[in-house]
Amino acid sequence: MKIGFIGLGIMGRPMALNLLKGGHDVRVWARRAESMQPLLNAGATAAASTAEVASDRELVISMVADAPDVAEVMRGVASAGVPCLVAVDMSTIAPAAARSIGAELADAGVDFLDAPVSGGEVGAIAGTLSIMAGGSAAAFARAEPAFACMGKNIVHVGDSGAGQVAKAANQIVTGMGVLAVAEAFAFASKNGVDRSKVREALLGGFAYSKILENHGQRMLDRNFKPGFKSWMHEKDLNIVMQTAHELGLCLPGSAATAQMFNAMVGSAHGEEDSIAVLKLLELLSGQADAAK
Amino acid sequence: MKVGFIGLGVMGRPMALHLKAAGHDVRVWARRPETLAGLDLPAAETPAALGAACDVVFTMITSSADVETVALGEHGLIHGMAPGSVLIDCSTISPESARNIAAKLAEKGIAMLDAPVSGGVQGAIDATLAIMAGGDAGVLARVRPLLDCLGRRIVHVGPNGAGQVAKACNQMIMVAAIQAAAEAMRLAAASGVDCGKVQQALAGGSAASRVLEVMGQRMVDRNFAAGIEARLHHKDYGLVLEAARRAGVPVPLTTAVAQQLNALMAQGWGRDDTASLLRVLEQQ
Repeated sequence: MKIGFIGLGIMGRPMALNLLKGGHDVRVWARRAESMQPLLNAGATAAASTAEVASDRELVISMVADAPDVAEVMRGVASAGVPCLVAVDMSTIAPAAARSIGAELADAGVDFLDAPVSGGEVGAIAGTLSIMAGGSAAAFARAEPAFACMGKNIVHVGDSGAGQVAKAANQIVTGMGVLAVAEAFAFASKNGVDRSKVREALLGGFAYSKILENHGQRMLDRNFKPGFKSWMHEKDLNIVMQTAHELGLCLPGSAATAQMFNAMVGSAHGEEDSIAVLKLLELLSGQADAAK
Repeated sequence: MKVGFIGLGVMGRPMALHLKAAGHDVRVWARRPETLAGLDLPAAETPAALGAACDVVFTMITSSADVETVALGEHGLIHGMAPGSVLIDCSTISPESARNIAAKLAEKGIAMLDAPVSGGVQGAIDATLAIMAGGDAGVLARVRPLLDCLGRRIVHVGPNGAGQVAKACNQMIMVAAIQAAAEAMRLAAASGVDCGKVQQALAGGSAASRVLEVMGQRMVDRNFAAGIEARLHHKDYGLVLEAARRAGVPVPLTTAVAQQLNALMAQGWGRDDTASLLRVLEQQ
């Protein structure tokens, strides 16, 4: 398939590489030209603009930072005037923003999917991302071969915006999950109990989760390298809380969690992995020896 | 002085009338002309036209976006107000938005004060509002006689935006206190104790507060008709949380209260008083 790809950061680069590996014809564009080089080395072609990346393509994918960036690059894509184009944004943005971009593209004759992902850099490299898509079934069917190169668990969740709703729900569960594991560990240590033994014991029961297993291990190793940066989780939880504010939705757990990540960003832990929330808990509970 | 006034709602209307009563030449503009019914004040066609005819213009509007439109939009004040004239924005908007509007007006030599108020409708009617001003001290000194017509306590908090920061702090404390009063009333009732007696007993002690006095009484009376519409506090809490996020400051209590306000909105009580936080607890 002829695919355009916009945004070649930590996530976008391996995703585009996997499309090339899958035998697709990939044309790329990135704000910083040097980030295109690894893709060009692997056989992609370069475009000079977001409009050019879309010309003669069947599918265009974006993986950028935030809603205004998505709106801007998608306007460029639409301006190419390619008939029957499907545009897919795989960034994490607010559901309302995705719906509004989808409507704008529909007016320009482009079928838009919001298809955010979960699985992080590791999943992007391995091609094992979870992909949650919102938009028309027809567009989903056309994008599916591309999705199959990048992800494993690929779900058409519903109409425009539904993918972002699923992703926001994902961030509620993972955000609170990371905080829950960190609190359990702080609780164990303050009680003088070996947290690694607690983790081991819990892995066999109803508290088992991937987060307890993977993030928990990294907490034990005190390996705070991202992974998924705290400021990004803060950004995603802000999408959750703004949506809750707009809809009249009571989310006390997410709200408390969002404030912990807010504190992480404010105390210069924003660039660390979100598991560094453990350090904040240890500091607050007078476990300063551990809080390094 | 020639004074313009935009935003003649439950707060703005008595404020405009106080200025008129003090002998000022008050003119108005309204997006919906019907809000001017019963007001014997000359109306301008556009904010720009109003601005051109006045030395000082007050705005008292709900949202950041509305203030920006009135100040900077196509027929906005910026296109009419003369250099040296002053915009006094009494609305509650984001500090960032206040700074942005002030900067744009300054390019044309127009001064701006962010001057949000606290004290509610009764404070507006009694001219006893607390006014928290952000902007140039000299400008505030010039317009202080006008503000004296509206309120009792006028504090220069700092540069542009500082008034809105103070207002955000005011809203944090006030609504959290309403939530605390609601929880206390709920606990009293659930324990089989007379809420009115508890409220009375507390009024003499360390927990005494204006909120417990006014909102507590509404809870005791189960009088949920708006003093201050809860939707406005809900809106303000959005601003507070946004400001906290920008500053990277954790606000764990504020965010918990915000969720109770979200639940209040979901129950359709946004146009009732914020004392309705009690009713949210009763549903939980």
